[in-house]
Amino acid sequence: MLTTDELERYDRQIMIRGLGEEGQEKLKRAKVIIAGSGGLGCPASMYLAAAGVGTIRIVDHDRVELSNLNRQVLHWDKDISRSKVDSAAEKLSQLNQGVKIEPMEETINEANISQLVAGFDLIVDAMDNLPTRYLLNKAAIDKNIPFFHGAVYGFEGRAMTIIPGKTACLRCVYRGLPPEEKFPVIGVAPAVIGCIQATEVIKYIVGIGKLLTNRLLVYNGLNLKFTELMVKRDPNCEHCGHLAKEG
Amino acid sequence: MSIKVMISAYLQRFTNHTEVVEVNGSTVGECLKHLGEQFPLVKERLFDRQGKLLIHFNIYVNEKSVYPHNPDKPVRDGDEIRIVTTIGGG
Repeated sequence: MLTTDELERYDRQIMIRGLGEEGQEKLKRAKVIIAGSGGLGCPASMYLAAAGVGTIRIVDHDRVELSNLNRQVLHWDKDISRSKVDSAAEKLSQLNQGVKIEPMEETINEANISQLVAGFDLIVDAMDNLPTRYLLNKAAIDKNIPFFHGAVYGFEGRAMTIIPGKTACLRCVYRGLPPEEKFPVIGVAPAVIGCIQATEVIKYIVGIGKLLTNRLLVYNGLNLKFTELMVKRDPNCEHCGHLAKEG
Repeated sequence: MSIKVMISAYLQRFTNHTEVVEVNGSTVGECLKHLGEQFPLVKERLFDRQGKLLIHFNIYVNEKSVYPHNPDKPVRDGDEIRIVTTIGGG
């Protein structure tokens, strides 16, 4: 049940056909975990909090550095050296006091991932490295939790939504690890992709629209072009292949 | 026969920042070979010592995945090959 304040706060989105008060209540009940509070995690968490997603858990082990501030817009000059999740939680709580923000200063690893995602409805992949993205993808598949991928490089970005056992997963699309290196990025690229991830999360929770499944969205900010690459489930995928065989 | 290879930002530093490279060939393998001849640094990035495409690159022809990579897959005049690198930045 929405309060009078909530009906007013979300008035403009409740007006959207297919969303309505029922959709807003679904958003309020939803529990979303955002892995990473960096370039992608900041815009994704801001727009999910603004939209009224009831519980948002943010996991990140980093502390804010000066070089983060060109893109990680929840972290400001005054936050340098502070825990990113505390910095994010403070701003998100101020953005929307009606949303429960759970900051978790943790390094996501094989030992704790199961516990970190337990009880959550959706996982947003806002990491800055591939090994942890693969770990999250595997956990999402194993626990049957929808997974919302985003990644950036320079002015480019990628996004894809994964419904475990039904659509291509991250591992169906990506294999291996390129040589590790510091990646270039400008804040507007993760802003676009983080907002696309948040859009997908909202659509999934409310149950409207067509999800970005079996399509890898490639965003080229320099040419301002979006390209959709058609992807398929890999029956031999080491993460979700067994589900294809079971299915 | 003219085929276009679309170069992602990750690889553009090895193509003198060229985004679209015209190549000749009747198969994906021949086209990638021609790309490598034009830009040897790309060749070093794309292939292992045995000349096999490294697994963190995926090939799409006309926006459809051709995984598992089959160098003998035929291409036609006007086709677009896209090399998609696994990226993890966030």
